[in-house]
Amino acid sequence: MRAMTLPLLIALAVTSAHANKLIAPGPVTPIAKSSFSAKPAGEWNRLNLREGKHTETWTLDGPLLNRVDFFGGVAVGQPLFREADKKRQPLPKVSSGMLITDIPVLLETTYRAKLRAKRLDINEQEPAMFGAAKGVRFTYRFVRADDDVERRGEALAAVKGNKLYLITYEAPALHFFDKDLARFRALAATISF
Amino acid sequence: MLALLGGAKGPKPSRAPPAYVANYEPQTVDERGLWSMADEYERELRDSSLVMREEALDGYVRRVLCQTVGDDRCRAVRIYIVEDPRFSASMAANGTMQVHTGLLLRARSEAELGAVLGHEFAHFELRHSLAGFKNRRSASDALAWVQVLGGISRQDTRDSEFTLISSFYRFERAHETAADLLGLAYLAKSPYPARAASEVWQHVMAEQDATAQGRKLKVKHRYTADYFATHPTELNRAVYLLEMAATLADDGDPGVEGHRAAITPHIRRFLNAQVRMNDFGGSEYMLRELAARGGWTGDLLFARGELYRQRANPRDLVTAAQFFGDAIKAGYAEPEVHRNLGLSLLRSGDVTPGRAALSKYLSLKPEAGDAKAISSLLKD
Repeated sequence: MRAMTLPLLIALAVTSAHANKLIAPGPVTPIAKSSFSAKPAGEWNRLNLREGKHTETWTLDGPLLNRVDFFGGVAVGQPLFREADKKRQPLPKVSSGMLITDIPVLLETTYRAKLRAKRLDINEQEPAMFGAAKGVRFTYRFVRADDDVERRGEALAAVKGNKLYLITYEAPALHFFDKDLARFRALAATISF
Repeated sequence: MLALLGGAKGPKPSRAPPAYVANYEPQTVDERGLWSMADEYERELRDSSLVMREEALDGYVRRVLCQTVGDDRCRAVRIYIVEDPRFSASMAANGTMQVHTGLLLRARSEAELGAVLGHEFAHFELRHSLAGFKNRRSASDALAWVQVLGGISRQDTRDSEFTLISSFYRFERAHETAADLLGLAYLAKSPYPARAASEVWQHVMAEQDATAQGRKLKVKHRYTADYFATHPTELNRAVYLLEMAATLADDGDPGVEGHRAAITPHIRRFLNAQVRMNDFGGSEYMLRELAARGGWTGDLLFARGELYRQRANPRDLVTAAQFFGDAIKAGYAEPEVHRNLGLSLLRSGDVTPGRAALSKYLSLKPEAGDAKAISSLLKD
């Protein structure tokens, strides 16, 4: 029993619902303890989840149905998420001199390591402005090992001052992804950092 | 364990597996419960998008299982090949066999694959999954909660699940030995050499050592088990399986070529999943292992280049560019090799040749999903 008590307690602690917060329309700053700020047109929910030093998660209907993750300025040598087991399960790190095409690869290797995503395909990649920085917009599809649901994702990312700024939108490919894609894009367009 | 095996009262490997009871139906309440859980699990597995549905590959794995355990035994087994780069295979109480692609990539021959499948089949034939079922029911309740809570928080619960599952599917140490012995009896009767069972564990250990080294951890293999307290350690296992195989004096063709031919059509996919696991040491070891058998093919060189490109130390980028160049020389014809060569060169500061390689990629694959991003790198 002892072996299972700890993960249960951790899971309970992480999911305690009372600290989630409603994000009202209008300027929001700072996001993810970083220089990210945004001006959403509608309401979002900020989850009481902190998967990394500079991350924040927003959702409309709950994180399994749609979620927006902010990664605000991940420095060189740092992983996207906090490493649960630095020694045995290290995560890939942001490296110096990353090209825009290296960002999707970093996301892929991180997901394969952290979420045990068994299948992940990067689909489209194109140059795009993110805030005031030259960056990349990319789309992907993946299946997490734990729920076997096919999800689609769209992300915007840029490297500024040797730090990685990334925002992702993910939802089940069936129905949910298309439902809120426009709202994500509208939100992403208001971001500055 | 060694003392036990060497002793007069210890288990002795036998050449003949016991008579097989076909079409077994569950007998008791607990057993029926276990089967219905397994049936439910199989229904999910059958519809899972992670199951590879490749007729030739399915046929190959079935052929190896049938040659190992015999046609009468293998008939009722349903085999599902699951895309998972880790080394594993498992068998549920109702005859569902799950084979990870990571096992197919690591097995060096039909005999090694057969040794692992035969071992899992032995647990099934000996109905080990029923033993201690009551204890495991409490584990499965906790497991359900960890999954629900983990799903909400997107915590990676796989490790705690793994902890629970390993207690769930953990067999008694005596069971492991019994399955090893029966597995060996299958091999002795099959056309494959019995020493393959020991060789599997030797490779598992060597790869674990390489992974640990890559992560700057201490390398050690033990004779005494700790985490899997009921499993013999790999080292222990490799040794006693080898000793028992020697007493059987069973030789035969391990089927190296047959195995290679079966996995070659899928090797790109398998290698891609492996090099994206963030396990530099283990992946590098595996690539060297594969190369030791069939030489450095274009596929292996490309995967090795990717491995170095991802680690992305300045020296790695130079090495990666070299491997991509070698892959092209070895006849690797996918356009992506030019892209990855170009990206490695670009990050090393070799702008002109880097852009030339990227242009080549774009001319070979103008409709690529990343064409716009790649062409933007040609401008700056």
